[in-house]
Amino acid sequence: MLRPVKMSRVVVAGSKDVLPPVIEKLHELRLLHIVNYNGSQPEFELGKPIGKAREYSEDLIKLRSVARYLDIKNKAPDVTYPDSQVISQLDTLLNSVGDDVTSTFERIVQIDADVKVKQDQINAMRPLAILPLDLDDYYGYESLSVFVGTVASAVDADVARVSPNSKVFSGSSKNATLTAVFAPAAQAGEVAAVLAEHGYSEISVPKLEGSVDSAIATLEGQIKSLEGEKGPAVKKLQDMKKQYEDMFLAADEYLSIQTQKAEAPLRFAETANAFVVDGWVPTTDLAKLKSEIESAAGGHIEVQVLDDNEAENLVEGGEDVPTKINNPAIVRPYELITRLFAIPEYKEFDPSLLIFVFFPIFFGMILGDIGYGLMTMLVLVGLKKKFRTPGWQQLINIVMIASVWAIIFGALFGEIFGPLGLWGKVIGQLPEHEIEALKAAGLYFGEGVYGPLGRLGPMGMLPMDRLATNAVLMLIGISIFIGVLHCSVGSILGIKTELNYGEKKHAYFERLPVLLFQVFFSLLLLGLILGNMVLVGAGGLVIVVSLVMMVMGPEGPMGLAHVPFYVSNLISYLRLLAIGLASVGLAFAANQLAFYVIMPMLSGGATESSEFTIPAIIVGILVLTVVHFINMLLGILSPFMHPLRLHYVEMFTKFYSAHGGGVEYSPFGHVRRYLKA
Amino acid sequence: MVVGAINDGGILYGLLAVGAGLATGLAGIGAGVGEQGIGAAVVGVVAEEPGFLGKGLFLMLLPETLIIFGLAVSLILMFAWTPFA
Repeated sequence: MLRPVKMSRVVVAGSKDVLPPVIEKLHELRLLHIVNYNGSQPEFELGKPIGKAREYSEDLIKLRSVARYLDIKNKAPDVTYPDSQVISQLDTLLNSVGDDVTSTFERIVQIDADVKVKQDQINAMRPLAILPLDLDDYYGYESLSVFVGTVASAVDADVARVSPNSKVFSGSSKNATLTAVFAPAAQAGEVAAVLAEHGYSEISVPKLEGSVDSAIATLEGQIKSLEGEKGPAVKKLQDMKKQYEDMFLAADEYLSIQTQKAEAPLRFAETANAFVVDGWVPTTDLAKLKSEIESAAGGHIEVQVLDDNEAENLVEGGEDVPTKINNPAIVRPYELITRLFAIPEYKEFDPSLLIFVFFPIFFGMILGDIGYGLMTMLVLVGLKKKFRTPGWQQLINIVMIASVWAIIFGALFGEIFGPLGLWGKVIGQLPEHEIEALKAAGLYFGEGVYGPLGRLGPMGMLPMDRLATNAVLMLIGISIFIGVLHCSVGSILGIKTELNYGEKKHAYFERLPVLLFQVFFSLLLLGLILGNMVLVGAGGLVIVVSLVMMVMGPEGPMGLAHVPFYVSNLISYLRLLAIGLASVGLAFAANQLAFYVIMPMLSGGATESSEFTIPAIIVGILVLTVVHFINMLLGILSPFMHPLRLHYVEMFTKFYSAHGGGVEYSPFGHVRRYLKA
Repeated sequence: MVVGAINDGGILYGLLAVGAGLATGLAGIGAGVGEQGIGAAVVGVVAEEPGFLGKGLFLMLLPETLIIFGLAVSLILMFAWTPFA
């Protein structure tokens, strides 16, 4: 669980005659993580694809382009098909269905383009309606130049000056003055210059016939009929998508599998008559791989397992051992958080289990409210049905497990949508004399009561109202304690990791002093608070020893530069208390606002809950809902981000990813989603 | 008068509260200034290479401890240090 699965290095060598059945078997088993041959040895060359590799990839490209026209995306499968059905339908999909889809799609694109052209023509012509000319008057001259456009001021006089024989038509609409000038071609240059002085901006007149209004009407009619044609075409594509979606995804998967198999030899080493495959396989599956391949190849193959020393030499030569993370189902969602950071290296620890233990507790301790916890749970149950991709499912599971802890801590803190004490006051269950007695004894942890159960736990600490002074002080202590525990687990794993890599100096003089420093630093603080000088002395002594060890470590005196970081690591855990305080404070404020400000104010100064008027109660509950909703949104986000930080920054730095990330185990083969297994 | 005011618990408590507020607030500004550059850079990196999200988050959350220091000071001022209790 805490370590990746143990791997063995194997070499599979065989006659080329049995290459296809061996590939088929390897693909089916999904066990061998192939190490690609890089062509470095002169005795072996790179393998060549077998079978119809080219044909398959061409089909795949065609299929994907059709699927793109149909807007088919990866989704959770509704139906799965057997291979035989896909093979029999592949031709239809690629040819008749494919051609139909392509031509329909192209027609839609053409319609859209035509509509746009016609729309542009209408927009260009519309201003021309104010001029007393037909559209065919604007073109078809040999000796005349035509200028049509908007101008800033009247041009008649100036045009007549440079070109007396020209004819000018003008009209004004509310936005601009429109002018059409017909001038002899010989004077076109002068006329253009004059027009430019008047801020001329050309309109390109479409080459159509008849009056402007009738031309616009015709174009609008054409647009309408084109759009009438587009509707059914779009509908047709949608229907086809509905009909063929799963089939297309299955065919895509089938072709991907075939291409993968056909191109597999590219990763192998080859001689004239033989092939060699290098790879890693989980040690537990070694026997299965060996016997299955040998029976598939009918004995014409040799599967050899390298012993640990040989494998170690290869790793030192730069080969990566793939990491196969293996966790029980309940821990698996938390692998998402590990992966987000890095894949563990083969010799490192997989922290998913630790995240599973600590993350939900942190989340619960921060959120700590039965009401919010239940609401989160309900929302997530709904979301879980809606978002069915693996990534979302993992994320939802993470928060779901965490919200169970939020409910548990809610019970400890006595909070249901804010501190229970306040609710107790509202529903009239608060025994005032008891609070006074507790306050007098210095044991006041808040006003919460569990109905007839009263106060529970040692010294009546539970429910612990987080806003009460004693509770805050106690939670500061608890937070730091959790911090020491969390960091210590990290440090211990760090020591073991360094020993796995054979780095004794790093283990004993870099990781160990950090563990000692953090544990005894907190003991020293505890000693100071309790006034216990023995504890202070012991703490101080071990801290000095750990500092000396750091100086003796691989970084020398520079190692001491990290000491402030180790102190801030511990203080950082105060956020477990702090973020929670902020959220419970807002919840408290919401309740206070509704029950002690808005409701009494709107009921004309009534102070007893029985005297509140109905409208006052409605407004009060409205305000209550809005503020609690906002608080809950914030209250899910920060309890997620901050524990994440505590893991990434405070814990992972002690042991994780110091040797660079690993390579994930991805065995040769394909997970069948749309095809029947 | 000044001595009288300082000896009066009310004003002292008020000053404590102001101090606690400043400690958290100024530390918050500091953390924000620290995070702004890192945040921009991380968004840039993640846009190019989504796999860096985890490491980017790690870097981005580093300066956040600053505000916890401020908060620790505030908590001590408000809850643990009570000279007039």
